Amino acid sequence: MHSLITPTKFAVLALCGLLAISLGLYKSAESAEQMSAKTQNEPLVTDCYESREGYTTVTRVEGAVPQYGYPNIKCSQKTGAVLWYGDPYEGTVPMGEMPEITDATRGNYANAVVKPREPRLMYFNMGPDGCKTCHDGKTVPAPKNKKPRELAMHQDIVENSMQLMHGRGSLWCLDCHSATDRNKLENRQGVQIGFNQPQRLCGTCHGELYIDWRAGIHGKRTGDWAANGKKRWWVCTECHNPHTVQVNRFNPIKQEAPPALPRGMKNADHERMPHGEH
Amino acid sequence: MSEEKKELITTEDAIEGRREFLKNVCLTGATALVAGPASVSAAVEAASADADTTVAEFFQGHFVLMSDVEKEKAIERLEKRYTAKYEKKTTVSNVPAPEDTLFGYALDISKCIGCRRCVHACVDENNQSRNDPEVQWIQVMKIPKGNFAFSADKLEKGYPETSQFGDYGVQVGGNAHTRVGGIGTEEAQSHFDDLVTPDNDHFYVPVQCQQCEKPPCVKACPVRATFRDSAGVVLIDYNWCIGCRMCQLACPYQARRFNWGEPNLPKEEMNPHTHYFGNRPRMRGVMEKCTFCAQRTREGRNPACLEACPVGARKFGNLLDPESEVRKILATKRVFRFKEEFGTYPKFFYYVG
Ligand code: HEC
Ligand code: HEC
Ligand code: HEC
Ligand code: HEC
Repeated sequence: MHSLITPTKFAVLALCGLLAISLGLYKSAESAEQMSAKTQNEPLVTDCYESREGYTTVTRVEGAVPQYGYPNIKCSQKTGAVLWYGDPYEGTVPMGEMPEITDATRGNYANAVVKPREPRLMYFNMGPDGCKTCHDGKTVPAPKNKKPRELAMHQDIVENSMQLMHGRGSLWCLDCHSATDRNKLENRQGVQIGFNQPQRLCGTCHGELYIDWRAGIHGKRTGDWAANGKKRWWVCTECHNPHTVQVNRFNPIKQEAPPALPRGMKNADHERMPHGEH
Repeated sequence: MSEEKKELITTEDAIEGRREFLKNVCLTGATALVAGPASVSAAVEAASADADTTVAEFFQGHFVLMSDVEKEKAIERLEKRYTAKYEKKTTVSNVPAPEDTLFGYALDISKCIGCRRCVHACVDENNQSRNDPEVQWIQVMKIPKGNFAFSADKLEKGYPETSQFGDYGVQVGGNAHTRVGGIGTEEAQSHFDDLVTPDNDHFYVPVQCQQCEKPPCVKACPVRATFRDSAGVVLIDYNWCIGCRMCQLACPYQARRFNWGEPNLPKEEMNPHTHYFGNRPRMRGVMEKCTFCAQRTREGRNPACLEACPVGARKFGNLLDPESEVRKILATKRVFRFKEEFGTYPKFFYYVG
């Protein structure tokens, strides 16, 4: 067999060998400590949050997608945010009734699902009747009018009810919350709306954003990419806190880890230095 | 199979060239090479798969040009090798790109806050090497605000006119075609590490493969290992790639990543739902890059980076469907392409929502 080697073939082989050796050298130059440090896993973060901290949380379940045996979510070890979904529809329910928008290109919601907000609201889950556990008209009397006043409650939600951080002084609690049925929101036309459909409330004042949201441009939809596919629509309050939008439209969040520095570089100062004199 | 027709590769010469090369190696030192401890190919890394399989994988042809039977065998070999190596049932899919589809992406730079969740979601999905070397397909740039500009005049001009050179690229309508705006990358940082984000003096631009309609990387590849599929996505046959890195040099977006070392992918983090042209584990010495999550999008699901974005800045869909989110964005928002002057016609659009 070796007698078959012609000079050119020999050159090819030699080149192969060189390449192989150089790749091998590169490999052995890697520090062994670095490898073992990363492979020894820290305990997994399993209680994770979606868009922003303190809002929707999801618990990691191993083997939740039987076909592949992968977990329902993967989370960031650094920030605890959900990064990856095994099943994009987990924990969702049909979006329910939505008012028609006549334009044919907008408002396809036959396959729309949402994550319900009610199970996420601390006050809503304090008793069997939701907010009405207290707001039953007796325990906490119904407000006499819609005039802003100091509240002795809910400071954790709205720090100072006289300075609600939404609407630049023109809004108060009862522009959004129903005065008579506290388990419901209420829009300006007096229509009662469940907490799971905040878009129907926000939409009455933020028409332009709402139209974009219905078209899939504002906000977020996950699941199928096809226009008529099944999608999870993310509702306004998964991203915006209606009580603080004036402080931050979208609350700042923690950042995920930066990429590894180039080989041999100790920091990223080269990026921060102004280049030349400008 | 329709895929075969569409993903046609025309340069027989290039393929023949590689065949010849392999044949020579085969005749002279196949056994030595395959059994050698530091060989360049995937063949060797499969310690647990039997020798026949690995040799067969090493000498397999270009996937697109294989017969259905050959494809089936190739997939079977890979599934066997991965299942053994990562100790879990791994599937390698071969679903073709959907019919009547041209995949496009739109990213809202007025929303992006540079949190990098997309970067890490991509790694979780696509089986990149985790560290040493760390491979990431998305790079997020943080750029001082002054570097961004729009021209309102051009915005009004609307549809492009055919130039003297003809009518290239996708006609997606609206203002996508004329240069209405752009970003300078002066003083851009990609290693920024802030406690919380965003930093309001900056804007953030994630960059990944722009899935060009005229991809320079495809032109540069001497063996046609990288090609454009019928849905407009540029893909790589990792087994056919010879690792020459010409495509990496050709790409103006620095979107391609080379496996300098043996990829370091822990078993427990490996995603066993893979596609031949997508996220199946790669080997040392081959090129990889964003595939718009071929394993997901060819099955109808959105890419992983989109699902992870907390602000909803990422939109994906079919550019041929006027009902799709990307088309609505192209029709109603201020849209531009990155480094448009290169004439690559990306199907990745940036817009201001
Ligand atoms: C633990 C009892 C309790 C629960 C549960 C509760 N609240 Fe209240 N809430 C109060 C009290 C007490 C006040 C009145 C404070 C005052 O008048 O100073 C109040 C006041 C309010 C007000 C101000 C308007 C008004 O009625 O005077 C709003 C709006 C409100 N609550 C919303 C809610 C919502 C929405 C929920 C359910 C998600 C809820 N509350 C659940 C105790 C409760
Ligand atoms: C712009 C409309 C709007 C205004 C104004 C408003 N809220 Fe709310 N509020 C909402 C929405 C929507 C929710 C549901 C939030 C969610 O889904 O996370 C809510 C939820 C709540 C909850 C339940 C929070 C929890 O996590 O349990 C309380 C309590 C509450 N509001 C009190 C108030 C009080 C008190 C005021 C006035 C000082 C007020 N709200 C003003 C829209 C509003
Ligand atoms: C009753 C009318 C009304 C409702 C209902 C309402 N908003 Fe507002 N919102 C306003 C007004 C008024 C402003 C202040 C606009 C401005 O400053 O230009 C505002 C401001 C905002 C802003 C900040 C915009 C900016 O430019 O600073 C956000 C975000 C927002 N609202 C979100 C919501 C969400 C989410 C909901 C539903 C939970 C909602 N709004 C419901 C009236 C409303
Ligand atoms: C996926 C998250 C997400 C969802 C869902 C979402 N928004 Fe937003 N929204 C954002 C982000 C991010 C911004 C930009 C914040 C900024 O500029 O700092 C924004 C901005 C806004 C603004 C102010 C910007 C402007 O142009 O005036 C309003 C008002 C608003 N959203 C309303 C809504 C309403 C109403 C809904 C529901 C129908 C909604 N949003 C759903 C993420 C979201």
